[in-house]
Amino acid sequence: MRRTRRLAIALAVPALAIAPALLGAATGTEAACAAAATGAPHAALVVDTGSRTTTYCVDLGGGSVSGLRLIQLAADQYGLSYHFGFGGQAVCQLQGVGPSGGDCFGAYPDYWGYWHGTGGGWSWAGSGAASSSVTDGDVEGWSWGAGDSEATHPAPPTLAFDDVCRAAAPPASPTPRPSPAASHPPTGGGASGAQPGRPSGAQAGAQAGAQGNGASRDPTPYPEATGSDGAPRSAGARPGATNTTRSPGASSGADRASDDVVRAVATDGGSSTSSGPPAGAFAVAAAVLILGGGGAWTLRRRGKDDRA
Amino acid sequence: MSVHPAAWMAWAACAGVVAFTTTDPFYLGLLVAIAWFVYATCRVAGPTARSFRVFAIGGLLAMAIRTALVFLGTVDASNVAFAALEGARLAALLIVFGTFNAVTDPFGVVRLAPRRFHEPALAAALALSIAPRTIAGAGRVREAQQLRGIRTARWRGLPALVVPVLESGMEEALTLAESMDARGHGRGPRTRYRPAHWTPGALAVTLSAVLAAGAFLSAAWTGQGGLHPSTSPLAWPAADPYLIAALAMLAVPGVLGAVGKPRA
Repeated sequence: MRRTRRLAIALAVPALAIAPALLGAATGTEAACAAAATGAPHAALVVDTGSRTTTYCVDLGGGSVSGLRLIQLAADQYGLSYHFGFGGQAVCQLQGVGPSGGDCFGAYPDYWGYWHGTGGGWSWAGSGAASSSVTDGDVEGWSWGAGDSEATHPAPPTLAFDDVCRAAAPPASPTPRPSPAASHPPTGGGASGAQPGRPSGAQAGAQAGAQGNGASRDPTPYPEATGSDGAPRSAGARPGATNTTRSPGASSGADRASDDVVRAVATDGGSSTSSGPPAGAFAVAAAVLILGGGGAWTLRRRGKDDRA
Repeated sequence: MSVHPAAWMAWAACAGVVAFTTTDPFYLGLLVAIAWFVYATCRVAGPTARSFRVFAIGGLLAMAIRTALVFLGTVDASNVAFAALEGARLAALLIVFGTFNAVTDPFGVVRLAPRRFHEPALAAALALSIAPRTIAGAGRVREAQQLRGIRTARWRGLPALVVPVLESGMEEALTLAESMDARGHGRGPRTRYRPAHWTPGALAVTLSAVLAAGAFLSAAWTGQGGLHPSTSPLAWPAADPYLIAALAMLAVPGVLGAVGKPRA
């Protein structure tokens, strides 16, 4: 009996340690919601997969955020699909491009290069996106490709903050619709499925910490629109297939052509994803119950045999 | 039902490979349940049967420590989930090893080695058996000290437990090596008393375990089956029916043990 109690204590310690982290994540999200209600600071996010460039004018929800948090906010506001690796410290996958496991260099030499906008160009980020600081008016770039330095890695197309956030026409349609360039993968997300206009504080649920929910869905301060038709112009092209600036061996990381830039449309935070366990999970649960019960029953029966 | 020690080695190695390739909690949970089932149906009555429980507790501790390490750095739900899954993989490995120790005699393995590899095999058997031998020894010493009225559960009573355990462990190892030498182990032709037979059951255990490990290795190679669930963003882990079926192959020794007669 005492051993059981000791085991329970051993298990309870980490559980207690985790609890404040979850609570902190949840309350932090609510604070972000409150701050985002009024004319909040914005940052520009440029994602260049090599075949297509998508821009996001991201509501920062108050204060400064990390580069990773900016991606999470873009996911909430525009449905940008992403996947972090190395324990959630690095960017593995954006818009379905990149390795899906925990190793973000799984497709090396290709990987997601991280850039800071300098107004008229890009500078190679010196530190990771988990520790960077993004504030109002900043421009952040991510480009997929090979090369380990500013000189060799392809940079995103040259875009200033105003190109992304201010030069936008009014929305083509009053209701936000999912962007074709930014759909969630079928298994990703586990999102809350909140409706636009609903008080976003209601989303502060169990997954709030990772989902980074709660930024404002209100697109009015910086109205967004697609290009002419909202469709990616070179959809389906493979990285490097159409872009002339991406020839291998190019001596300098010249900016990619900016004629195929797609502006992301504000969308409901991932309502397209399916949440809930996969069907196989129930088979696993049933098997675990049967095996566990069968084992316990066998032990009891054999125990009686031994004593008899 | 008695299964050849080599078949148990194959089973443990393949189950270890499965645990190593994935951090998916569904697969790991099923693997742990299978290890428990196999332990319950195939364990050898005796002091080493206790090693399953010891390794299970050790596995849970490893998982808790791995998770607690997160709190030295940035803390959010993604990081905690990532560390907990890594810890769960470690725990599953330890539990599989605990099952292996409880269902077979590590010294049965050394007998299988070809003569020329006698010394490395002996060293390997001693190393493999250190945990079950220590566990068994600790149980014996604790009982003896309790009969003498010494409480070994307290910190102050710890030397009364640890010193005899270490001493008897050294002695056992020396005795084993000497006795094997005295019997000419590794020199002359070998005769076998109660030889372990390679039965159809052993073949089934080995083949099914290799099948399970092969399925997981190929899934890891091709990147399918969602062996490493996304923790950032948090998402439901995959539960691929083919991989679940492959995992079920590892329960074959348990099924054979459940329908067979318990070992004396």
